[in-house]
Amino acid sequence: MAGDKHAVVVTNVTKHFKKVAKRREYTTFKSELVRFIKGDRGVNEPTQYIEALKGVDLVVPKGSTVGIIGRNGSGKSTLLKLITGIYAPTSGTVQVNGRISALLELGAGFHPDFSGRENILINGIILGMSRAEVKDRMEEIISFAELGEFIDEPVRTYSSGMFMRLAFAVATHVDPELLIVDEILSVGDEHFAKKSQAKMTEFKTSGKTILLVTHGLDAVEKWCDLAVWIDGGKTRLMGSPAHVVAEYRRAVNAAEAQDAKTGHSALSAPGLALPEMVTPPSAQESLRAVSVSVVDGSGQRPQAFLADAKLDVLVDFEATVAQAGECSVDVQTADGRLLFSSIFLTGSLPVGTGRARMTIARLGLGEGSWTIAASVHAPGATPMTAATTSFLVAPHPGTGLVRLQHTWSVEGRPPEVDAPVPGQPVARA
Amino acid sequence: MIRNLRELYQYRALLWALTVRELKARYRASVLGFLWTFLNPTLSMAVYVLVFGWLMESDTPRFPYYVFSGLLPWIYFSSSVGAGTSAVSERRDLLTKVRFPAQVLPATVVLTNAINFLLSIPLLVLLGLVYRQFPTWHFVFIVPLLLVQTLFTLAITYVLSAINVAFRDLQHIIGNVLQLAFFVTPIIWRLEQVKTVEQQHLVLYVNPIAALVEAWHDVLFRQKVPETMPLLVVSVLSVVMMWLASGVFEQRREEFAELI
Repeated sequence: MAGDKHAVVVTNVTKHFKKVAKRREYTTFKSELVRFIKGDRGVNEPTQYIEALKGVDLVVPKGSTVGIIGRNGSGKSTLLKLITGIYAPTSGTVQVNGRISALLELGAGFHPDFSGRENILINGIILGMSRAEVKDRMEEIISFAELGEFIDEPVRTYSSGMFMRLAFAVATHVDPELLIVDEILSVGDEHFAKKSQAKMTEFKTSGKTILLVTHGLDAVEKWCDLAVWIDGGKTRLMGSPAHVVAEYRRAVNAAEAQDAKTGHSALSAPGLALPEMVTPPSAQESLRAVSVSVVDGSGQRPQAFLADAKLDVLVDFEATVAQAGECSVDVQTADGRLLFSSIFLTGSLPVGTGRARMTIARLGLGEGSWTIAASVHAPGATPMTAATTSFLVAPHPGTGLVRLQHTWSVEGRPPEVDAPVPGQPVARA
Repeated sequence: MIRNLRELYQYRALLWALTVRELKARYRASVLGFLWTFLNPTLSMAVYVLVFGWLMESDTPRFPYYVFSGLLPWIYFSSSVGAGTSAVSERRDLLTKVRFPAQVLPATVVLTNAINFLLSIPLLVLLGLVYRQFPTWHFVFIVPLLLVQTLFTLAITYVLSAINVAFRDLQHIIGNVLQLAFFVTPIIWRLEQVKTVEQQHLVLYVNPIAALVEAWHDVLFRQKVPETMPLLVVSVLSVVMMWLASGVFEQRREEFAELI
């Protein structure tokens, strides 16, 4: 079977939940009685469903670490519950090979009146270990949790950090073939966070399969071999973490920009799909950006731009119908935050290709990597396609996101002092 | 049904761990601790003896021993059903976070009460000795009786806990139904005190728990082989109910995690 190479194969899975509240009205005895007297037996009322998943495909190869990203309400947790077997899919199939340990919530079944040691036993068994296995690993778990003599105190006396440490310690000592983790990597203080990361690395290097849901995009890029972006209940993109994360950030930025401009977007309600960014070439767009490039004053593209240099943004576009156009250029930080955005109305454009040029007399950006996203579209329309390019800004004295144009001078300098006094403002480049 | 029981066996470590925790947790914060396992039934027995034995002068010989031999199996049954009804609906924390067969939860309640029942049997024997009633060979019937009662209790608890997930009113209704069941079961009165034979049969065959309690009385109090017919009916009923209950559980359990 082909599935043997994969730890998890999810094929076209959908999941519907019955809506509980009827017509925004809480079901009470009174409301039921009123309905009954009115003769409304609720027979004609169509049951409403919430479509949490609308067709998700996912393949987790054995031994890989896969990160699932997406907005709140996009269906990530529902997907995990389906893979774990807590929910059954409405349609489609979920195939899992190997022993699963799911860390959907830390400390499932902890009893506050019991000691740490007793809770380790019960929690370990709940998570799928045998009694003997738990007893074997008891000391290991206790030393990992770093609770000292508190281990024999009732759990209700623990601080929340101690509680989480204990729960995390048990959960990671289950020794599963497939570890499913829902947003729990940030447990405890700096020291314990490092320890938990080391534990995850140990899992990874020992060839275990890890399925990770997180909002920590950096973690996905750092840890995962494969990233999956779930959006609006569907698999939106599956591929290399860097690529998927970049696309995700781009879509969120686009939605934010749309939100800022129009006051409404996919962000206004939970679970809505983010605006589509990548459109197949066949899409009917009469005006679109084909590519974007950046050059310095001499028309060259250097390895890194100087912060004070001139910069030209060249946007190549293509029009299949003669029409007016709107050209926009966004400058984004490496992690996708919008720094600056500019829009230019081009006036009537002929059919064919063309080039828009935005000239920045002085770049003025801080050191590091920057992204330019450019689009050309009909005025007022939502850009469907954006062309992007990245460039570096060379190191320069000073730090920060931007390099503002500035000069230094010192006034009222005490005449006796020749050398700069520590703590006093000092002229710098 | 077979699959249901096999899964219970597969998850016996979890079942056992939860049961042990339940037993430990019940009296953890109290001063007398585990002693309450014996004190609780003894004190309820004392109440009945005070009212019905002393104030109303029951003509039953060795009345405290008689009450106790019926009360212990009754407590096993009623505590299981009472607590078991909400066993699934109360454990949202477990069911929505970890995958395991949901029947472990009601089974834990039944097993906990079964152990409590077993632990109080020595107390019953002790009380018998006070009344010069020594254990006879009839005590071997404890094993099959316990088996039938456990199957019966488990089946009822399965059905009730499954229904209670969607219909929470049940947990309040069930307390009242249990109270009715207590009074129509010969625990503080004797079956012979019922006027006609027809009425006696009505009690025995309509109320399965009455048939069970009467069987316990036969073994522990009257010291004779229990009546076969009512017990056979209950046994068949238990197996059928267990089969149905397992089916309900099998069918509904995918929905449990969504409904609670």
